[in-house]
Amino acid sequence: MLEARGLVKAYPAPAGAPIRARDGVDLSVAAGRLAVVLGPSGCGKSTLLNVLGLLEDPDAGDLVVGGERVSGLGRSARSRARGRYVGFVFQSFLLLPSLSALDNVLLAGRYVGRTGPEARRRARELLAQFGVLEREHHHPPQLSGGEQQRVAFCRAVLNDPPVLLADEPTGNLDDANGRVILEALRARAQAGAAVIVVSHRADAVLGADAVYRMRQGRLEPGPPDPGGRAR
Amino acid sequence: MSIARVLRGYAFTIAGIAIGVAGIVALGAMAERIVRFIEGGDRFVLGQISVAGAGMGMGTGFTAGGLLPSAGLRAIAAVPGVAGVQAQVMLPLNPSTSQFMTLTQELVLGLDLSVDTPNRYYPRLPVGEGRALRPGDRRVALVGSAFAASRGLRAGDRLPLEGEAYEIVGVLERTLTAPDRFVVVSIEDAREQWIAKDRLLRTVLASGGAALTAADLNTGAAVGWRDGEDPDALARRIAERVPGVNVQIPSELSRLLRSSTAFFSALLVGIGVLALVIGGLSLANTVAAAVFERIRDFGVKRALGATDLQLGGEVLVEALAVTLAGGAAGMALAVLLGLAVDGWAARTGQQLFFFSGRLLGGALAFSVLLGAAAAVYATLRVVRLSPAEAIRRGA
Repeated sequence: MLEARGLVKAYPAPAGAPIRARDGVDLSVAAGRLAVVLGPSGCGKSTLLNVLGLLEDPDAGDLVVGGERVSGLGRSARSRARGRYVGFVFQSFLLLPSLSALDNVLLAGRYVGRTGPEARRRARELLAQFGVLEREHHHPPQLSGGEQQRVAFCRAVLNDPPVLLADEPTGNLDDANGRVILEALRARAQAGAAVIVVSHRADAVLGADAVYRMRQGRLEPGPPDPGGRAR
Repeated sequence: MSIARVLRGYAFTIAGIAIGVAGIVALGAMAERIVRFIEGGDRFVLGQISVAGAGMGMGTGFTAGGLLPSAGLRAIAAVPGVAGVQAQVMLPLNPSTSQFMTLTQELVLGLDLSVDTPNRYYPRLPVGEGRALRPGDRRVALVGSAFAASRGLRAGDRLPLEGEAYEIVGVLERTLTAPDRFVVVSIEDAREQWIAKDRLLRTVLASGGAALTAADLNTGAAVGWRDGEDPDALARRIAERVPGVNVQIPSELSRLLRSSTAFFSALLVGIGVLALVIGGLSLANTVAAAVFERIRDFGVKRALGATDLQLGGEVLVEALAVTLAGGAAGMALAVLLGLAVDGWAARTGQQLFFFSGRLLGGALAFSVLLGAAAAVYATLRVVRLSPAEAIRRGA
């Protein structure tokens, strides 16, 4: 479902040679699998996720999502591919403060042509599933961190994307809310999505099918979670 | 998302735009006021051929010269192409002030009410309150709006002129030009005022040395032309065929008027350029800043699959709504302030602002177009960033 080969991403340094943030990353996550990438802050986990989610262009390497080679696409085609294939859960939620919880969720449908009553019904169904339906008309500043992340999760899965990427999804949450989100990510994998989570939390690996560690810009396979599902 | 919610979210942006647009509209309204003044005078002089007697006389208002006796009027009327001649007496209301040709002077205009006014553009002066003058009217006056406002006069009030009480039968609509300061009376009344004002004239008449009758006391005449006649050619024909007259060529008088107001025209250009630059920069900066402030939101939207076109469309619609709202608020602010200032200035018969339809429409169109251009520019800058970079910068 998601396959990366030899991904390289370099950032220009203030002086001297470019910084090679990623160096030849290979990663393959099949549909229905949950992969967790662990690593300390600043090791490049978020950069990897941005490249995998088409939020940034790789400097080299190939990226195939849903059978489509997306690494060579133009800007608008990349945007369309993102809307079609990828859902994001960010550490800082990234809800639009001017929109209500419901409208934030519906926003994901707007750019892929999924609007109207059916999208609204689905959005409210997701909000109910995550216990925030009674907050549907509230704006992000009126929601707790846990509620915001649940709304953000609903937004990420509104279109049932085949790939779900989560960047430190529990980083700003308490344990209880963190568990809700991690469980939801596992459920998405079980429902058939390719899910990649980058996290510094040890409990993120529970139920993971594959665990990787970022070291010096390289992705190294780690020990799979003993409780993970069979590969 | 409703437009109302968009506008609420952009309250400060709208306020910023409103201030910029208010500046454009207020300065523009002052310019419009001056334009109307100049155009009104120009239109008046182009609507008739103004004739006075040769030499130096009262020389007030639009004519400059000596007496135009009744024989001269008849000679003018006989010139081929002349459609009508209306004898006039134009006097300064206050003879102690300069008689320099000016459109701001308060004047008494005496009209021969037995004939139609031949001016093509002002066949009758627009009456706002009361009635116009009628043939046979005596000791009644029709006054200009500024004249009435500066003295608190209304139809039915009395106005003393050279020791006689005149009933004000009407007040003219505001024209923003010379007639706003006119006192219009019958020519017979004006002749009496002239004699009362002018000691030399009284002496000459009393001496019996000059063969003058009341009908000869005219400072000038308005001459109309028949359809198809070239007014300039007719004016030259009158000058050739009627001796002892001073004929103003309409187009030359118009040029003279425009050259005498060249300073105001230059001032208008300056005001207009300043208004557009200051207001326009303020508006464009506010709109662009509003887009850049939302750079994170745009990053998120692109992360959710928004293409450049979708994002540009959204920004454009929002920018149009915001600039429309800001433009309307700015116009309302300028109009309210202008009306307040004019309410104060009206006590001295002045009006500083004129909010014409073309000004308000132009200001709104300018605002919307500039706002849209600024939004498009800012959006093009934003979409060049990767979604991740946009989110990072907006964090």
